[in-house]
Amino acid sequence: MMVQDKSLIKGLALNDIAVKGGKYVANWRAYKPEIDYEKCVACGLCISYCPEAAINQTDDKMPKIDYRFCKGCGICANECPQKAITMIQEDES
Amino acid sequence: MTQEFDVMPGNKAVAHGVRLARVEVVPVFPITPQTTIIEYISDFVADGKLDAEYIHSEGEHSCMAMAVGASMTGARTFTATCSQGLAYMHEVVAQATNYRTPLVMAIANRTLGWYWSLGPDYSDIMPEMNLGWLVNFVETNQECLDMTLMNYKIAEDYRVLLPTMMSLDGFYLSYSQERVYLPEIEMVDDWLPPYKAPYPVDPTVSKAWPSAMIPPALHTTYRKLHEDVMNDAKKVIAEVDKSYGEVFGRSYGGMVEKYRCEDADSLIVTMGSMTTAARRAVDKLRSEGEKIGLLKLRFMRPFPNEEIIELAEQVESIGVVDRVMMHGTGGGMAFQDIKGVLYNTEIKVPVQNFVTGLGGEDIPIDDLYVMGKKILKNKGRKLINEVEFVAHEFQAAAPPVEYEGDSCMHPGSDGCAGCGASIIARTLLDTLGENTVVINPPNCSGVNYGGVVKVPWVLGNFAAGAAYMTGVYRALRKKGKADKVYVTSYAGDGGTVDIGLQSISGAAERGESIIWLCYDNEAYMNTGIQRSGSTPLFSATSTTPVGSEWKGKPQRRKNMLMIMAAHRIPYIATASLSYLPDFKRKIKKAAEVTRAGEGLAYLHVHQPCTTGWYFDPAKTVEIGRLAVQSGAWPIMEIDHGVPKINVKPRELKPVKEYLAPQRRFRHVTDEQLEIIQGYINNDWDSYLRLEKDGKLPWY
Repeated sequence: MMVQDKSLIKGLALNDIAVKGGKYVANWRAYKPEIDYEKCVACGLCISYCPEAAINQTDDKMPKIDYRFCKGCGICANECPQKAITMIQEDES
Repeated sequence: MTQEFDVMPGNKAVAHGVRLARVEVVPVFPITPQTTIIEYISDFVADGKLDAEYIHSEGEHSCMAMAVGASMTGARTFTATCSQGLAYMHEVVAQATNYRTPLVMAIANRTLGWYWSLGPDYSDIMPEMNLGWLVNFVETNQECLDMTLMNYKIAEDYRVLLPTMMSLDGFYLSYSQERVYLPEIEMVDDWLPPYKAPYPVDPTVSKAWPSAMIPPALHTTYRKLHEDVMNDAKKVIAEVDKSYGEVFGRSYGGMVEKYRCEDADSLIVTMGSMTTAARRAVDKLRSEGEKIGLLKLRFMRPFPNEEIIELAEQVESIGVVDRVMMHGTGGGMAFQDIKGVLYNTEIKVPVQNFVTGLGGEDIPIDDLYVMGKKILKNKGRKLINEVEFVAHEFQAAAPPVEYEGDSCMHPGSDGCAGCGASIIARTLLDTLGENTVVINPPNCSGVNYGGVVKVPWVLGNFAAGAAYMTGVYRALRKKGKADKVYVTSYAGDGGTVDIGLQSISGAAERGESIIWLCYDNEAYMNTGIQRSGSTPLFSATSTTPVGSEWKGKPQRRKNMLMIMAAHRIPYIATASLSYLPDFKRKIKKAAEVTRAGEGLAYLHVHQPCTTGWYFDPAKTVEIGRLAVQSGAWPIMEIDHGVPKINVKPRELKPVKEYLAPQRRFRHVTDEQLEIIQGYINNDWDSYLRLEKDGKLPWY
């Protein structure tokens, strides 16, 4: 009889895509991007270009940075056609 | 005698050994944690400190074949690898023996997958142990240098004339700094004369050369002769060790080193870098009045039978620490060998095995002390537990952070700040959707993003990405799901244009309906920026450094677009992370042709790399744009044979604007710049002409 009971499999390490969340990387950051919503036209470029997927679109189409996932690379500020994002040095403390 | 010393990692000590031995041919291929050996050697060659043929191979199988070819033609040859690379060499490693090539290969040990780890254990070298090579293990960085020199003297002795593997533990030796004394090169010259092959494959010198073929009836005879040679090598090893000591002031005991064994009644057996910790454990037990000694196995092939029997007669208990598991035998490598040596003797001594340090985990002094205690307790007792696995508690990393968002990639990763590869991966997966299988030949994205995607991301082997995909695709097709799941690669330029090319070519020719995606950062970034077949002309990399003799990579990159077009596949495109709408359209097109079962779709995406190209991370997208606008990276597609340039600037920007912000090009002279600009103009004109002519005639 061939046994095919999953609970009897020994020593199998699994990748399970169902159980993961994001990775906290805020402590990498030396400069912090800040969006000036007066200037932002919600073009979405910063969302597309953020290497960390740390920028999301909110209900009013505006980008919102989740700073827990931002390494402060500055691509969003560099690419913003409205110059609406400024990189501000993190507090040393 | 005074000798200069420097503080350096083990890999640099090996490289100095290669320099001092005046090695003539050095074929290389990068793999962590070996790579810095070949980088240090490239620095020596680039600066004229070593006059050697340095060969950038396209994969380890070729690398080893180059080494064998060079050695059998009479050149003193060196190469280095480890882990997956050594496994990929395997076939040629066996061949090196019968051609009697006294080449020296450094193995900066790393675990062989499964399971993958960058840290060292001997699972990589274990499958190579019995192929007729001499195999030795070193403990310190000084020993790395000394053994590199000694190994040539042993291997090139006509009584031996065999290839030699020198194993240094990755990280613990390869990257750790220690004091290393450097002998004068003139002294080395006197001690180690140039290699003179007895039968080189050179018709101007010899009409005979070592044969790969003998009749089956002679196999047993010749294998017996080889075993005699291995045995004779023991004498040569002892001689060379003694002579090295006389000339350079350091010797290591030859086949083994005994530490505090004089009056020992118990013995702990180790090899490699763990030995240093074991010495301290033995010291501690000795200070408590225990009579325990240490045996360091320096050579594993040939195996030190005599030395082991001699000590086994003296002691009442032996413990063997193994950093490898020989699955199916119940124990480790040195353990099985030592038991085998003792079986047909009168000696009845318990031999216990400790299997530990797998995957590169540290083997601390405290553990070795406890092992020592257990060995002492075994005196005069029947063993209860022959093999003990010494594992440690797993310290889990920080738990995943909850967030809002619906991308196919989770936010946050281990990638460099400003990494372009993640922009490409996210665009790809968000466009293809969740019913996608990613096959990932090893690269930095696998390390950084493989764990943060919401689709199956399967680590393949470097040379076989497209073959893994073929297997997955054919299984899906057999089960009637070829139109429900996309199979795509996420491969780097090394895994595409170099080591992976044969596999891609096969899949393309067979018409497998899969998507090959190459993210091209123009070097082996995962192992630390070594030159690939996609590195552009004159770019400095860690294996094409700029020195007095070298001025960056001297060759132009491969034109993969045309290589793929020669396969007449339905869809081929280049893209850039700086032109995402164009890239998304191309992903959709690739999805369309593969879903229709038309064959392979090939996407080659340019990825400026802040770390490897040396520019401000904020400029990733900007640099990518400059590459396209200067014509350095033309964005094109070949749709069912019809070429089209998708982004056509009214006028190409001077390439200087693209190169200037990148430090990898900072050495470029006006003359070199002119050459680069010339090639770009020429390529651009060629593409315009192709576009004008319409469908490629061979489609």
